[in-house]
Amino acid sequence: MTQSKGGTGLAEAEPTPEQRPTLARDKKDPTFDRSTRRLWPILAAPGTIWLIVLFVVPFYGIFAVAFGQVDFLFNTPIPAWNPLHWQFTLFGEVLHASVDGPFSGVWRRTFGYVFVSLVVCVAVGYPVAYYVARLAGRRRGLLLALILAPWWINYITRMLGWMTILDEKHGYLNSFLEHLGVIDQGVNWLGGYPGVVVLGLVYGYLPFFIVPLYASLDRIDQRLLEASRDLGVGAARTFWHITLPLSRMGLITALVITALPMAGDYYTNQLLSGSPKTNMIGNTIYYYLAQGPQKNVGACLVIQLSLVLLVFMAYYLLLTQRASKEAGR
Amino acid sequence: MTFHPKARRSPGQGLDRRGFLRGTLALSAGAVGLTSLAACGNGDGTPTFDTGAIANAPYPLARPNRPVKQPITSDNQPIADGLPPEKGGTFRMLNYADYINPAFVKAFEEKYGVQVQLTPFNNYDEMLAKLNQHNVYFDIVFPGPSVLGKMVYGKLLQPLNHTYLPHFKNVYPSYYSPWYDVDAQYTIPYTVYTTGIGYRRDRVDQVPENGYDLLWDPQFKGSAYILDDRGEAIGMSLLRNHITTDINTGNPDYVNQATNSLIELINLVNVKVGIQDYVFIPSGQATVHQAWSGDMLGALQYLPNGTSSSVLGYWAPDKDFVVGSDVISIPFSSKKPVLAHLLMDELMSPDGALTNFKWTGYQPPVQSITPEGLIQDGLIPENLTTAVIKSEDFARGLVFYEVSPAIDKLWQNAWSKFQAG
Repeated sequence: MTQSKGGTGLAEAEPTPEQRPTLARDKKDPTFDRSTRRLWPILAAPGTIWLIVLFVVPFYGIFAVAFGQVDFLFNTPIPAWNPLHWQFTLFGEVLHASVDGPFSGVWRRTFGYVFVSLVVCVAVGYPVAYYVARLAGRRRGLLLALILAPWWINYITRMLGWMTILDEKHGYLNSFLEHLGVIDQGVNWLGGYPGVVVLGLVYGYLPFFIVPLYASLDRIDQRLLEASRDLGVGAARTFWHITLPLSRMGLITALVITALPMAGDYYTNQLLSGSPKTNMIGNTIYYYLAQGPQKNVGACLVIQLSLVLLVFMAYYLLLTQRASKEAGR
Repeated sequence: MTFHPKARRSPGQGLDRRGFLRGTLALSAGAVGLTSLAACGNGDGTPTFDTGAIANAPYPLARPNRPVKQPITSDNQPIADGLPPEKGGTFRMLNYADYINPAFVKAFEEKYGVQVQLTPFNNYDEMLAKLNQHNVYFDIVFPGPSVLGKMVYGKLLQPLNHTYLPHFKNVYPSYYSPWYDVDAQYTIPYTVYTTGIGYRRDRVDQVPENGYDLLWDPQFKGSAYILDDRGEAIGMSLLRNHITTDINTGNPDYVNQATNSLIELINLVNVKVGIQDYVFIPSGQATVHQAWSGDMLGALQYLPNGTSSSVLGYWAPDKDFVVGSDVISIPFSSKKPVLAHLLMDELMSPDGALTNFKWTGYQPPVQSITPEGLIQDGLIPENLTTAVIKSEDFARGLVFYEVSPAIDKLWQNAWSKFQAG
């Protein structure tokens, strides 16, 4: 068995070095002929072009806008496509405003909401993913379909559904609480509560969290858990020492995938709150990009948000690389 | 001298990019400071203007006390007299969503055999961007006075031929030659409105003398809203707190004071921002909402079944109130300028204006529409007469006009500070 104690779920899914073909071997392999070597780049070309056109170019455009100028007549950006013409003064000013200025509060709130939402996602999503992966048996397909069912409905529509539930006068939640005698009069849940925004974020992105985690938990070798129990280890310790470490990469993947869209979200709080005190950095970005003479400020904030998220992505990639290496030993 | 519309559109007639940027940079370099309107030269023969709050602006900036006659250049003349209306095809309209009565549009389509295609915009930046696209044309556009100067300067509009506008005489006399477009060469007025406070009369016992204070009243915590519009919100705070009546001020201290007062609202009444005053007040979601008068009249259509129109109230100060106005123009790129003139004229006719008003709630500045007449016809309840504009209001009110980029940034950053909570 190649799985080490510190291994991961992803690592276990990896083929052994003997099974895994390497590029060096491929080149020497007479069956891996020239036509095959040409085939794969051709097959990869559409995806590569897609990425370049729809990701790299627009992202470069954001840099060009952030480091360019604004046409003050029509308030449209004048992108600096040539990096030699980039001006970094504004970026520095926006960075200062983000660290210790008018944007710092919004950043802190954004990180706070995302952090709390992720904690709730772990608390809610991990047991669900575990149950579906390990215990659901024949109902697994049905449960997975139910988890994914919200994706069949547009995000905004789902949030509008929450507005109906949380409405102060006619909302089901207030009716229910009044029926139980918990409250005397309706609570204005949509009146700017951070908890409601976190609820919306968790609800909106929970499937993103559960699915990769489920995939990771599903790949854990059942024999490892049986061995642990056979050796007299209790269920809790088995989970702590076997299941959790083996699902670590899945958990991190789920956290990263969930955190990325959450951090840039700007409509959940608009729909479920509308109060300035629940605005996130996405709202500030939208505000500067949608109108006014400072679209380059909005672009600078986009870059800063991307850089912050890049740190998490880099950490994730580092862990993935390590896991692959460990699996290859 | 006039040209047939199809004959005078040749490539390169618009402002060239270099000239455009030169003007833009001059505008961006403008210093904040009030100087008198005076045309001068910048060395290369291009006239520049010291006007309003911008020094060396590439075009004159109109102010109520310094009206501007927009230039008509030799390569952008009005269409000739007596041309027949264009037939068939698509008539492209650039307007806010839900800002013209669909029944009026349908009747226009049937009368002239065209298909009206509406392209909506959310703000003037978006409108300008759409209008400025290459190879895209629009036949009619609905801008405002604060962007008119740049639109004429950027050659996005064509001058009007008033021989196609016999109903122009119906508009309020103050619009015959408004300060932003002396002699109405490029625009006709579309709507006029004030900004004030909309409220629920069944929940507000008494409107204080300074009605803006309703928003600062803690008893309306959780159901107080201000407009999601930096000019309107900060402008209201300037007036409410008696900081200044210059609602276009470039004084950072004034703007900061006004912004800080708005920030107070966040904890005081848990204020929310939005532009659905016409829905939130009739539905009861808002008790107090900074509101446009037109939205309050439009709110009559959003009252839930069984709710009396008497619950709606609107307050605006008698003096130093904000008055806004939207206009209609014909884009330079229009392929159906005759039809565009006819649609404009129709909207100024008593019937056309009333038909449109009934649906939008926004009052056309047409003399036949009076507060008394609207009440007599049962179109509005008496409790909303405060939302009806009188012909003299346009001249009396405070207006937002085009400011320098520096002032625009000042206000944008101030609003961002409020939005950050």
